[in-house]
Amino acid sequence: MNFTDPSNILEWIVYLANEYKFMFLEGLWTTLYIAVIGTFFGFILGYLVGMVQDIKINKQDNIVKRIVMRVVKIVCVVYVEIFRGTPMIVQGMIVYYGMLQADIKISPALAGILVVVLNTGAYMAETVRGGINSVDKGQKEGAWSLGMSPMLTMFRVVLPQAFKNVVPEMVNTFLTNLKMTSVLNVIGVSELFLVAKTAGGTYYKYFEAYLVIAVIYFVICFVLNRLFLLLEKKLAKKKAYTLAVEYMEGTA
Amino acid sequence: MSEKTAAKVISIENLSKSFGDHQVLRKIDFAVAKGEVICIVGSSGSGKSTLLRCINKLEQQTDGKIYFNGKEVEEKQREINEYRSRVGMVFQSFNLFENMTVLKNCMLAVTTVLHESKKEAFERAIKNLKSVGMAPYINAYPSQLSGGQKQRVAIARALCMNPEVLLFDEPTSALDPEMVGDVLNVMKELAHTGLTMIIVTHEMAFARDVSTRTIFMDRGYIVEDAPPHELFYSPKNPRTREFLSRFLKDQTEKTEAVANG
Repeated sequence: MNFTDPSNILEWIVYLANEYKFMFLEGLWTTLYIAVIGTFFGFILGYLVGMVQDIKINKQDNIVKRIVMRVVKIVCVVYVEIFRGTPMIVQGMIVYYGMLQADIKISPALAGILVVVLNTGAYMAETVRGGINSVDKGQKEGAWSLGMSPMLTMFRVVLPQAFKNVVPEMVNTFLTNLKMTSVLNVIGVSELFLVAKTAGGTYYKYFEAYLVIAVIYFVICFVLNRLFLLLEKKLAKKKAYTLAVEYMEGTA
Repeated sequence: MSEKTAAKVISIENLSKSFGDHQVLRKIDFAVAKGEVICIVGSSGSGKSTLLRCINKLEQQTDGKIYFNGKEVEEKQREINEYRSRVGMVFQSFNLFENMTVLKNCMLAVTTVLHESKKEAFERAIKNLKSVGMAPYINAYPSQLSGGQKQRVAIARALCMNPEVLLFDEPTSALDPEMVGDVLNVMKELAHTGLTMIIVTHEMAFARDVSTRTIFMDRGYIVEDAPPHELFYSPKNPRTREFLSRFLKDQTEKTEAVANG
């Protein structure tokens, strides 16, 4: 095996990986931080939009409040539909070049994060809405009957239970985002995919270069997925409760 | 509003409720004085539960008014919340918060709605859980309890708010027969403390023995409203008689069985 003067596929893979190791690492770093930051804020956006969808408009509220709520709800629905109905690669182009044309200076990485946030938000909104709907209606009524406001009920009773149902989908979304960042190469974000494209182009060895990042993507996703599954199992385990023996006397 | 209304804890005037074309409650009028224990009986679909849910504003009435301590309950969220914090409710399906321990279930609304201190909330929780015999289970989650235990916790949770009125919506209907007794005993004790209670139930013997007034409902109307012994043993309305005949027959058979040794 001669890795300094590669002649077969394996040698080329090792050669490219070695030659461009810092670029691959940097690309990996970019991929990771866009995915993490984008997913995080996307989750927040998704939860907000999902909760707005759940708010009921009361006939008794004053007219201004009702109009505002109606408008906000419509905006949310339109946003969700648009971002679920268009490819992320197109969204990237439109956001980035749209910003440039509007004379807003934005780095490709920032535009990339913005696109991931908006995209994740749209998908999460639906997931969160489903999660909220899956919580038994009686839980709300139990809280209301104690005088808790709809807002308080949402944050203390419904959302914590919806969250538990939504966690697997959140993990899924994050891993999807990690891979979907690759489309951001079209606006020049130097994440893993663009690095592979560059490295492959220099030597005209595309197949080998993309194999390198395929392995990287796979390892990262595989490891993270296992970790999340482990965490999920741990969270799902309900510990047996301990009887409060100090209150035992005089009770059945 | 009549003068009679002013003296009552809860009074209902002309209350109607329809779901679409289906009219469930028709011009209901009745009032509850402090300390009364009212049982509402009637066949399924007669509107008993809907009436109770209207009283607690979980259903919006189509027509009519609800007064609490002589003041009309207005259709504002804030007012409704404040009203609900003083009128507790116990559900057929318990509705304990699944994401919290028994203790947290009892403390949450006391701290967040009544703005009491944690210490006060804890003391109230322990006191009321003790009274229903559930204090040892403060660390358990609802999913780890049996139906009867859940319902007793739900009653304690409602009591922690120091409600002026407590509504029960078929509290024993989802329980297996063995546990019904536990819950009914807790309610019986509560009735003796002078708490105002409105109870929708299918437990006829309980209604007869514990209530101070029994209401029979049929097809959305209050058909008869009388002291339990009058309603059970000399019902005026033929429909009441028909409904109670089975229960009364069972009772006579029991008495005869006892008499015949």
